[in-house]
Amino acid sequence: MSTAPMSTTAATTPSVSLRSLTKTFGGSIVVDALDLDIASGEFFSLLGPSGCGKTTTLRMIAGFSDPTSGTVLVGGEDVTSTPPHRRDVNTVFQSYALFEHLDVRGNVGFGLRRRGLDKATLNRRVSDMLELVELGDRGKERPSRLSGGQRQRVALARALINEPKVLLLDEPLAALDLKLRRAMQAELKAIQREVGITFLFVTHDQDEALSMSDRVAIMNEGVIEQCGTPEDVYEHPTSVFAAGFIGTSNLMSGTWSSGCVAISPTVSIPAPGHQGSAEGDSVSVAVRPEKIWLSDLTPAMFRLPGTIVATSYHGATTQHLVSITPDLTLTVLEQNLPRMRADDRWIPGDRVEMGWLPEHTVVLR
Amino acid sequence: MARARRLERKPMFAVVVTAVFFAWLYLPILAVALFSLNDKKSLSTFSGFSLRWYDDLVHNDALIDSLLASLKIATVATVGSLVLGTMLALGLERVRSRRGRVIGAVTLLPLVTPEIVTGVAALLLFTGVGLKLSMTTVILAEITFSIAYVTVIVRGRLAGVSLEVEEAARDLGCTPFQALRLVILPTLVPALVGAGLLVFALVFDDFVLAFFTTGVDPQPLPVRVYSSIRFGVSPAINAIGTLMLIGSALLIVAALVLPRLFGRGTSSLDLITGGQK
Repeated sequence: MSTAPMSTTAATTPSVSLRSLTKTFGGSIVVDALDLDIASGEFFSLLGPSGCGKTTTLRMIAGFSDPTSGTVLVGGEDVTSTPPHRRDVNTVFQSYALFEHLDVRGNVGFGLRRRGLDKATLNRRVSDMLELVELGDRGKERPSRLSGGQRQRVALARALINEPKVLLLDEPLAALDLKLRRAMQAELKAIQREVGITFLFVTHDQDEALSMSDRVAIMNEGVIEQCGTPEDVYEHPTSVFAAGFIGTSNLMSGTWSSGCVAISPTVSIPAPGHQGSAEGDSVSVAVRPEKIWLSDLTPAMFRLPGTIVATSYHGATTQHLVSITPDLTLTVLEQNLPRMRADDRWIPGDRVEMGWLPEHTVVLR
Repeated sequence: MARARRLERKPMFAVVVTAVFFAWLYLPILAVALFSLNDKKSLSTFSGFSLRWYDDLVHNDALIDSLLASLKIATVATVGSLVLGTMLALGLERVRSRRGRVIGAVTLLPLVTPEIVTGVAALLLFTGVGLKLSMTTVILAEITFSIAYVTVIVRGRLAGVSLEVEEAARDLGCTPFQALRLVILPTLVPALVGAGLLVFALVFDDFVLAFFTTGVDPQPLPVRVYSSIRFGVSPAINAIGTLMLIGSALLIVAALVLPRLFGRGTSSLDLITGGQK
């Protein structure tokens, strides 16, 4: 088992490189001239709504779908016209696609058996892999007798055991219930660290992408909108789509004017640090709801008066809708911190003063 | 309400109808079995137990030849229609266009075409191309007729197998042919067993097609039985009927039991009867 840490392999050629990869289906462009490099040992997520082309991209890397144009390189080698069974790539399918006629060991050892590994080595590696995914005692079970989480682990083990240059995961957690999904996210991340194999993870679940990935690419309508670390894409979205798709954002449109965005004749939001817009340009600004404070405001904050129009309780947080002008309402997310008094709560009708730090104002293209 | 409501009183009407139905269905068959053990030739009065008709049957070469011919026809037709029907099912699964659906519907036509039409058509075809009627022509006609059954059952199973399963096999190092041999076909085994048993049972006692397409000798068993009835029903016919009944019952038991012995969740019979997922 290769356990080379990320640092020693990161300098080598990328695990996967896509060069102007394009796929059209009957005239409509599904993947549009995609360029992407995924470093060796990286946990990389393709995040986007359904139909954005992320699964098609994955299928082109696996070899199940032929690109209309462009190239796919795996480990620096052009595999664009290599059939799937000769690509050094393995896939964890959304439906798991386990072989029902084989037991768990038969499933996990399938790829190695195809390669003609001798029986002793094969048995040892299957046992090791089952230990890794904590299924050591289920080797003789049929897949149909396993729970969803266990089936998922068999699918993972069956792909990982081949030690591919890159492991493709097509929404592998989508079928699990929320609690199990959270547990599997952590487990998947831990396994990836342990084996050091490059993971290319496709998902529409932003939490999943943010919490597991080294880097995230946000995909929409066949193109990558933004690519960066989870923190980067969350804190500094560069497009309206990225800001809206990851988390929630208060999106406002206005005009760029002397370091501020004028969103109404009376309201102008300062955006220090923003460059690249000319005086009078139409721009959008975004502010994350959790960056806005309703109390404990500091002098450094940009302040805005408003009226609470609705509040809803979400357990750890409370969400307020605060109206500033008749057609501008912002969402504010307040942490439900330990309170001194039970009546210390905002109710609809309260006049409030909101505030946020100017660096949390994000100007979008 | 979580559970189905139970009837508090047994409705007498339903009980009577059910009883009459089963009596109507099985009493004649029981009569055949009973009279195969009669020691007289009479088909109306039972005078005592005897195995003389079974002894008669064993020495009736023509009947035995017909039995063997029917077994051979059913076996070859089962294998042939399994191969062709499975290929057709796999192909149709792949063509998911409108054209594919039309082809799929056309393959079902033999299920609804009156068998006598198929029989006459087969006869005309064979004589038209100058093929001498023989056991071969019966087998060809029966295969043609049975493909639809295999295709329907195999497609039913294939519909439950995700396309990703084949992709997974290829992802793990299988060529397309290896994926078929190592993964898809083993997954289809319950459907293949079910379809095979069904086709065997249908072909073995098929009269209409066999009647139109058979040559002179040896005639398939149903045709032989039909011809011999013109000279009066011999209780040996009852004997062979009883043996066939026992044979079919054993096949059904095998279809039920074998898959469970191998630890499969679904038996092939469930696939035919639509029970148990």
